Order: sequence, then C-alpha cells, then structure tokens
Amino acid sequence: MSHTASIQAKARELLETGAVACVIGYEIGPRGRARPVFVESPEGASRLVWNQACTHNLAAYLPARLRPGKKGEPARPVGVVVKACDSRAINVLLAENQFAREQVHVIGVVCPGILEGAGQRSIPDEASPGEGPLQARCLRCAERTPVVSDTLIGEPFAAPPATLEEDPLDRLSGLGAEERLAYWLEQFDRCLRCYACRQACPMCNCPTCLFERDDSTWLGMGIGLSEKRAFHLGRAYHLAGRCVGCNECERACPMNIPISHLNRMLAREIETAFGYRAGLAPVPGPLVTVLDRGEGRP
Amino acid sequence: MTDHPPRAFEPRILGFLCNWCSYTGADLAGTARLRYPPNLRAVRVPCSGRVAPELILRAFDHGADGVLVLGCHIGECHYDNGNHRTAKRLPVVRALMSFAGLEPDRLRLDWVSASEGERFARIVEEFTETVRRLGPCTWRAGSPAAPAFASWSSVGAAPERPGGGG
Repeated sequence: MSHTASIQAKARELLETGAVACVIGYEIGPRGRARPVFVESPEGASRLVWNQACTHNLAAYLPARLRPGKKGEPARPVGVVVKACDSRAINVLLAENQFAREQVHVIGVVCPGILEGAGQRSIPDEASPGEGPLQARCLRCAERTPVVSDTLIGEPFAAPPATLEEDPLDRLSGLGAEERLAYWLEQFDRCLRCYACRQACPMCNCPTCLFERDDSTWLGMGIGLSEKRAFHLGRAYHLAGRCVGCNECERACPMNIPISHLNRMLAREIETAFGYRAGLAPVPGPLVTVLDRGEGRP
Repeated sequence: MTDHPPRAFEPRILGFLCNWCSYTGADLAGTARLRYPPNLRAVRVPCSGRVAPELILRAFDHGADGVLVLGCHIGECHYDNGNHRTAKRLPVVRALMSFAGLEPDRLRLDWVSASEGERFARIVEEFTETVRRLGPCTWRAGSPAAPAFASWSSVGAAPERPGGGG
C-alpha cells in the first residue's frame, strides 16, 4: 500500500470512529502543489496525499486548534500527518503544555526528504519519485523516522549520510565581526516585517507577539533597520533550545532572508553548552530550567 | 582661539544591576567612597533574570558601547533561581549577538553581592577598560562607524527558488 493510501485509510478510520474531530494533512491544490488541508469528515479522507512536496510543518496548526474553549473545556482530539522534523516540534509543544498527548493522534511518515521548491511548484504524486534535489535541511537530516507517532507509515530506514559538501554556517562563523555585521545588516535590510516566518513556525505561538505590540515602549514595530534586526535576533533567541530545524520560516520568507543560519547557530550553541537537542523527548529546554549542580558558571 | 584636541573616546556603558545584590553593592561602593569610572549608567532591575535579551539589544541599538549585567551570586538570588536563568541565557545572547557581528566582549555578566562594593568597582573598572580598548561600537545601524553594506550575498544566502511565491 502506498503512503497516500495508508494515510487515507487511517484518516478515514479515525474520523469514522470519532476518535478525532479533524485530520490535518496534505492535499494537492488546484495548481498541482501540495498544501495543508483540514479533513473533518470520512468522505474527505480521499483528498489526503503524501509525496515529496509535502514540506509544510503541520504541527504549526496544533496549538491554536487544541486551545481550550472559552469555558475551559478541552478541544476535541486532532489527527496530524507529520514528518520526522515535524514530530520533534510536537515534542517541544508537549513539553510546553500547549496540549495533552491524548489530544493528538500523530500519523508519522518515514520521510525520504523533501524536494527543493516544494510548496512553490507542482510535484507529481508519489508514484513518480520527484526529480530534482532535496532541500538543504533534508540533506543534513539524520533522523528520517518520526520520534513520536501513534501510527507509523513506511518502513524506518537508516538515513543516508549527509551529502552537503559545505555548511554556509562555517563560512559565516569564519568571518570577522565587521564582515558578519555587514552581512546580517544587508540580509535584514530586505525584511518587510510580513511575519511570514513567525506564522509558519510551530514554536511561535504566543497569543500576542512581543514584536507586534504597538504599545511596547522598548521594542519597535517599525521597519527601521535596527528594529528589523531586533525582531530577527529576538525571534531567533526565543527559538533557542526550541527550534527543531524544519526551516519553514526560511521557506516562507518572501525575501529569501537566511533565517535558518541564526536558528542553526543557536541550536549548535545549545547542544555544545547543554548537550540538548530540541524535540527528541517532551522535556523542557535548558533555558527555562534551573542550573544543575556544578553547571556552567560564567 | 585655541584648538581643542580631539576628544578621547569615552565608552557609554549600560549596567543592569539587580536590586537586591548588585545595586546595593554599587551603593556600598559609593558610601565607601571607592572610585570607579563614570562611564556606567546604572539601571536598577528587580532581578538579573529580568534582563530580557531585547533590553540588551535595545541598549546596543541606541548606541551603548557595552552592556554589563550584574546579579546575585548563584544560590543567593532573592527569588531563589532568577539568576540561574540569567546564567544560562546570557551566554546564548552573547553567542547570538557575536554571530550577528558584535564583539562578544561588549556584553558581560558577573555577580556582585551586597557586601562587595570593592568587587563592583573593580568589575566596572575592568569592563570600562575592555570596552575602551574595543573602541566605539559599530553595531548601531547607520552609526558613523557602521560598515557600508558589502556584497556578501555569496556567503550562504538562501538558495534561489524556482517558480514564484505563494
């Protein structure tokens, strides 16, 4: 059975038994591109697909969808189709008590990697494995099997060794302070403050974003260069120890700002300092916990 | 009329001092008549854990040459573990800002207890000297010393995408 058929069968079963109120998955849109879909009836399950263009991180929809009602009644469970990277996001959200484990039925898909340009152009269905290169994050990815799942689709396989010959992060880190300053000013200068990065991010789920408050006395909402830089650096910091590296922010950015460099640098930093990688287990990150005995003093 | 010699660089340093230890330590330095550089502008905060990275960013964006965060020693926090968070977070902020092009030595975290007026004066002295050696900060966008945009697009910019957006 193809992945698409397995996902459809599982979604139909979940919706028919009433185990979930909705299944969040991927469908093929009218222009042939994969896009997120919310399926709420068993008949709709046939819309679901899986192919190498399913790039969106659907975990981003969970916090809002599973927020308790006005009277505090818990939201009905939701099924969600996730790749390995997205499943790490679910672990982070669970650690932050965004919802309860039993509120989400995770349909995990063993992921062969997502193609470059996914979400932007049409990619034919699973039968013909998509031509073209994989996204850089997928070339770096070492875990192709979801870390959390109720239903696992596909056979786990050992991830192929990373095939990226050079990491731009190393080149950037090798530059001098002045050069890096100029590099980042040039990148942030393009920012429109459209907040697409924030919207695409499963971890950016504050009801009111700190960077979008017009009553803030110490954070600008403007599009001055230093305000844009403060937004990006502040956002990167808020994701430190939480970012799972799904790179949706960078993909969503209309101005091609290499946001993922900031996030990956911080992920590296957190791993060196605390030996912690976000999302491998539903435990709080190191920046919100107290120091262990004898842990790093400045 | 006499020509004035060019004014020597005097670093502007913003200090976030925790109310319970470091601010009192600074007070003690004052009452003990210890000398320390006048470059420090002290801001009293309830706890070093209150010093959000956005505040530090804003200080640099507004032309600070250095930011000094002082809190209680680990284990002496008035709020039990506020300074634990600072101890974990500040190195991360430092790494981030250094990655974005700030000299990491311009941001310093240290501990000063209420009885350590002398230590306070010494830290301010040391930090002022460090920042003085680094010279004026170029972090602020549009500051006279800020570098012109170079063409760094080749250095690891996001890959061009096929097709249009949306």
